[in-house]
Amino acid sequence: MATEVAEHLEVHRHPEPTNFWTKYIFSIDHKVIGIQYIILAIVAVFVGMALSLLVRLRLVWPDKPIEILGTLFPVGAPEGVMTPEFYLAMLTMHGTMMVFMVLTTAPQGGFGNYILPIQIGAADMAFPTLNMLSFWTTFVSFVTLCAAFFVQGGAPIAGWTAYPPLSALDEATIGGYGQDLWLLSIAFFCIGSLLGALNFIVTTLQLRAKGLTMMRLPLTVWTWFVTAILGLLAFGVLLSAGVLLLMDRLGGTSFFIPGGLLVNDIPIDHTGGSPILWQHLFWFFGHPEVYIAILPGMGVTSHILATFARKPVFGYKAMVYAVVAIGALGFVVWGHHMFVSGMSPYSGFVFSVLTMCIGVPSAIKTFNWIGTLWGGKIRFTTPMLYSIGFVSLFVTGGISGIFLGQPSVDLFFHDTYFVVAHFHLIMGVAAIFGMFAGVAFWFPKFFGRMMSEGMGKVHFWLTFLGVYAIFGPMHYLGVIAHPRRYAETTSVDYLGAAGANEIHYFVTMAAMITVTVQCLFLINVVWSLFKGKRVTSDNPWEATTLEWVTATPPAHDNFEGRIPTVNHGPYEFSVPGAPRDYVMQCNAPDAAPARKSGE
Amino acid sequence: MHLTQHLRGSLANKAMGNSTPATLEQPSLVSFSEHQRIDIDTPADGEASGLGNSNPATSDFEALAVHRYKLGVSVGFGGIIMIFAALTSAMVVRSGLSDDWKSFGLPSVLWFSTIALLVSSFTVEKAKRALRNSNENGLRTWLAVTTVLGVAFLVSQWMGWLNLTERGLYLAANPSHSFFYVFTVGHGLHLLGGLLAVGYVTGRVWCGHHWVTRSAAIEAAALYWHFMDVLWLYLFVLLLVWR
Ligand code: HEM
Ligand SMILES: [Cu+2]
Repeated sequence: MATEVAEHLEVHRHPEPTNFWTKYIFSIDHKVIGIQYIILAIVAVFVGMALSLLVRLRLVWPDKPIEILGTLFPVGAPEGVMTPEFYLAMLTMHGTMMVFMVLTTAPQGGFGNYILPIQIGAADMAFPTLNMLSFWTTFVSFVTLCAAFFVQGGAPIAGWTAYPPLSALDEATIGGYGQDLWLLSIAFFCIGSLLGALNFIVTTLQLRAKGLTMMRLPLTVWTWFVTAILGLLAFGVLLSAGVLLLMDRLGGTSFFIPGGLLVNDIPIDHTGGSPILWQHLFWFFGHPEVYIAILPGMGVTSHILATFARKPVFGYKAMVYAVVAIGALGFVVWGHHMFVSGMSPYSGFVFSVLTMCIGVPSAIKTFNWIGTLWGGKIRFTTPMLYSIGFVSLFVTGGISGIFLGQPSVDLFFHDTYFVVAHFHLIMGVAAIFGMFAGVAFWFPKFFGRMMSEGMGKVHFWLTFLGVYAIFGPMHYLGVIAHPRRYAETTSVDYLGAAGANEIHYFVTMAAMITVTVQCLFLINVVWSLFKGKRVTSDNPWEATTLEWVTATPPAHDNFEGRIPTVNHGPYEFSVPGAPRDYVMQCNAPDAAPARKSGE
Repeated sequence: MHLTQHLRGSLANKAMGNSTPATLEQPSLVSFSEHQRIDIDTPADGEASGLGNSNPATSDFEALAVHRYKLGVSVGFGGIIMIFAALTSAMVVRSGLSDDWKSFGLPSVLWFSTIALLVSSFTVEKAKRALRNSNENGLRTWLAVTTVLGVAFLVSQWMGWLNLTERGLYLAANPSHSFFYVFTVGHGLHLLGGLLAVGYVTGRVWCGHHWVTRSAAIEAAALYWHFMDVLWLYLFVLLLVWR
């Protein structure tokens, strides 16, 4: 190796930062930034869960005083009884926290940032400084969002979708600055995400190691790459829409506020705007956004299923094409959120057909996951369990999507708990299971210690059963036409007669238990950081991709001045004739005798 | 700024033969290709020690940096295009949906803006040519002219806004004005970003700095500048037709 020194350039090692601030806070190292995103998401997810508990409490005991709330929120919960507006505010902040600050940050900015450069054999992202800027812009967005709790008027109440006129008019709410801060926060978030997406795309296109062709990329990298493209094309639209809405609120314009509006008996001095226009712009972003949340989880699941089934991913190419197809189709189905907005039945029909088309690549992925498991020598580790859980949740949530995708059925189900069940299972919980799987799988690489399998398995089963207990019954609530986003339904006769009150009680109990169980995950993380079993090799899972050949944890520049050369496809497990049951991507070309590399 | 660059291309090919031959008995041996990477720390004073154009390795590195910067800027176009596509569709819908749309005459100073920007696209191209021909004097001059024209464009836009307010056409007076302000200010902000980039390289070139990513920065700034020009032409025509 060292004989051809004359050919080599002098290597300037990327200097390792020595100062605390540049090492841990304003770091340009993608690994540190990845961890920062994950920490941000963990903080946000606990805030979001606390908010969801308030929402659940209010639904079951609408007028029971909770003393501590009265002290904390004298306006929102006078004497401890939550007002309907307060309920909506908590609901709005819950949705926004979860969708933006959790589901959009950790899977992509967190795991993608940490793992993608290593899996493609790069020393960092293409633009490290820009990477740092993306994170800090996102952080400012998070702080701005949290500030909405504390300003006059409190947090906004228009939901995570911020439909005008409710989101545009102070006359319709208590007023105040909550909605303005929300919009500002979203604008920052868009900018941070756009910069991040740019970085991911250039990195994947330009920094792959020698021999790592696109069709040899791990599926994780493929999903991060496609997610970045979706982000690049979607967040600009939300940014534009948000700016227009902010101008309607602050500048007196009428983009989204119609004329002749009477709110709380107050005539509104605006003309000609279109609330439906907001819905189009929002959902043009919103539907790709749900795939931004779920695609990385799909990648992680594919990756982990293959690793622990000791089999190549079934239909690797089909998986790649399915991801690309889902990404592309994701841009033409936004209308399925607006079937009841008065759109022409013909448009509804077109959106419905296109929506059903997305079911095809989704089904391909599901069958390939099952095909990967089929006949495998399965190792039931915790990451494997989480990944199998992901598949289960994805299927359950996908099936309810097929119902909703038909305008005639959606006329009934729209704005009922059926939709809540659908998107929590498929987007909320499935994506979070993808993250659990990612943490459990890469923890040994991040920190050099294994997570506790015992705690992990208990956490998996309790959470898995818990989320089904929470969201399963909501399908039934939808079927009995229980509307969503109502603060109080205990005295509604038709719901009570169908058993809605008991179901809400059950769901709230299940939610409290499941939220409590999440502390076990946190305990597992902290315990394993200090007491977890130390890894004895750089590749404890006997996996194939490049992150498992580097040091544990990886050096500052990932590969210590060298770059691996890739000679094999990403999932060469159980290759006939090979001495071990796995061939790493960077093993010598002749390490896999029987199968052609790259397949 | 620290830049960690992987050098591939011709150099990498030379290093190709370096992978460690692994035998089947030891399949875990990893094949690495050594030393394909150079990490560049731009010295604070901008003097790239020993990395002049004479060093073939450096010019390889420069080519890679140019490619990366230009790729980054081009990918960014995707996001910017979507921002303005969303606004365009909003304008089409908003103007078609209701009858409160009042047309107004665009300030004539916008024609001056347009010409200034068109010429600046030409001058930045001249700067790029000068860079490629190692014509330092030309580079300095054309960059400076471009910066001046960029400033002129923004000043001219500013006068356009003043003209509207003098005529009482404020932001909220009519949706046609609202969209005018949204488009022109949106474009102006993006152009300001480009102007800062062009101004930065101009300043450093005038100070005689030769930093390693100089070509990359100039090429990328020029590419972005052309894009701002095209975007403005599109918006100008749109506003002329749809005001
Ligand atoms: C088979 C594929 C899918 C179909 C056919 C489908 C269909 C639908 C339809 C028609 C709605 C609108 C329901 C209504 O508001 O009346 C909806 C809502 C929703 N879907 Fe899906 N979906 C699918 C997959 C997904 C995936 C993969 C995700 C996320 C990862 C997702 C996330 C959501 C969310 C977040 C909402 C609700 C947004 C809201 O109103 O707050 N869906 N889905
Ligand atoms: Cu959708």
